[in-house]
Amino acid sequence: MVRDQVILETIHLDKSFGAVHAVRDVNWKVYQGQVNALVGDNGAGKSTLIKLISGALSPNAGSFRVRGKETAIGGPSGAFNLGIAAVYQDLALVENRDVVMNMFLGSEMTRGAFSIFLDHKSMLHEAQRVLDEIHARIPNVREMVRNLSGGQRQAVAVGRALVRGGEIIIMDEPTAALGVEQTQEVLQLITALRDQDKTIILISHNIQQVFEIANYISIMFHGELLGTRRREEATQEEIVAMIMGKRAQQDGNVMA
Amino acid sequence: MLERITQGQLALSSRRRIQLLFLMDNGIYVVTVLLFILFIFAAPFFFTPRNLVNILISASLAGIVTAGYTVAILAGQIDTSTQGVIAIATVTTALLFQEVELALPLTVMVALLAGVAAGLFNGVIVVNGKIIAFVATLATQGVLVAIALFLTGGQTITITRAGLQEAVFIRVFGIPSSVWIMFLCYILGWIMLNHTKLGAHIYATGADYRAARLSGVPVDRVIRIALVISALTAALTAILVTARAKQSTLFGLAIAGSVDFVTALTAILLGGFSLFGGVGRIERNLVAVLFLTILGNGLQLMDVPTGIVLVVRGFALIAAVILSVLRARVA
Repeated sequence: MVRDQVILETIHLDKSFGAVHAVRDVNWKVYQGQVNALVGDNGAGKSTLIKLISGALSPNAGSFRVRGKETAIGGPSGAFNLGIAAVYQDLALVENRDVVMNMFLGSEMTRGAFSIFLDHKSMLHEAQRVLDEIHARIPNVREMVRNLSGGQRQAVAVGRALVRGGEIIIMDEPTAALGVEQTQEVLQLITALRDQDKTIILISHNIQQVFEIANYISIMFHGELLGTRRREEATQEEIVAMIMGKRAQQDGNVMA
Repeated sequence: MLERITQGQLALSSRRRIQLLFLMDNGIYVVTVLLFILFIFAAPFFFTPRNLVNILISASLAGIVTAGYTVAILAGQIDTSTQGVIAIATVTTALLFQEVELALPLTVMVALLAGVAAGLFNGVIVVNGKIIAFVATLATQGVLVAIALFLTGGQTITITRAGLQEAVFIRVFGIPSSVWIMFLCYILGWIMLNHTKLGAHIYATGADYRAARLSGVPVDRVIRIALVISALTAALTAILVTARAKQSTLFGLAIAGSVDFVTALTAILLGGFSLFGGVGRIERNLVAVLFLTILGNGLQLMDVPTGIVLVVRGFALIAAVILSVLRARVA
């Protein structure tokens, strides 16, 4: 049944914090150009797994395979070079700077000798182009981030991942703090990303939302990856049962 | 980092908010021009070439130190070591030039290097020691003043050797070089803050240290550089003050008239800056310095007693603080 291409794979990934075994022997496949949802109860190990992939943490054991090649992530900058970009839950945006400066913060475009001088014009155009591509509703890219809505901020944070050449975009609870309309905006944003053939890793608590948007749903429980289901082949009841720790055994079609 | 004072945003429509911010940010231009016009009529000899040049010289001394100070504030670092750096640099200048009879360029270079060293030291305590700049630099200030006292035995060194004042206050197109140096500092500061990667990183680090770090901004290096720039401009000011007074001025601030921490602070707040960093434009500070200098100069010419002038300046600081707090609530 698996017809999509795997872009990223964790192999026997393991991470402990002292006595807490946060991630146990996880073999997870992430499919290219798809929305890969990661669900599980609080403390199931989702965040740790994501941090291992984004380079924020390094594993105690196990490895990664990215685009078929076995590799170490090697810290956030290493993840970066592999095209993996995390959108943090609090977005890590600078309120008092405009959209353009936020999107390019830490990876500014420069011109002239020694790359000292900012290329404001190119950054402006590039920011506008990237935001248009993901259909972000931001009227003015010179607007301060503090004046943007929650949905718009999410778009800016995703835009930042894209201008840095992000191919695998990790989104951690992107709609957790948002109202209904803003949530729809973010879901449209995710769809737009997928239409650009970007790979999305989505952490979410909201099962209904996951069913609305994800292509693959992976379930974690007590640090273990219980399995991965294609959305069409899963039911909400089954997923909820797995979140609560009931291992589904009847069919192993995409069981990792 | 200091916690942002949360007083709650004022309930305003977005249009009104933008209008108020514009007024707060640019009011300083209007007020300065109005004050200037007022003194033309009210203060005798105010609007004479000689006095205008005097204003510029005073403004240049306060202006240069404020320029560097601004950079530190923008990076979120309140640098309280300024007076200490001025003390050590003035003593270095006077000792080397007068006692050691070192050549002028070498003297200037060593004095500036003393400033850089002080800035680097501040950087080590703030970045490696993880101590907030306000406290760390206050300690540095004490140490530096003590070293300066030790070096001179508490004596003022009078400069009798010729060349220092003449060189520093040489006039180019009728304007003393210290004034040109001030303009140069602001032009360089403006370019750096608005058009370079470093400038973008300074603003971001001051506005949100954590977000900047997560975005890959080398925040620790940015803080170090900002503190060095601040100390460097303080040292430069010290050389000019020493040259002008023809003596080392441990508490040079009083002697030089308008070069002190409080002036710099007032100017920064009047310029629409936030003490928490990340907000403000350096050119407004230049205007704020001119405003404060014109205010002091005009009142003096009107024969207002010095005590009253100081009271007025105190009120200017209070007004500036209120403005800054209001701005934070509107923004």
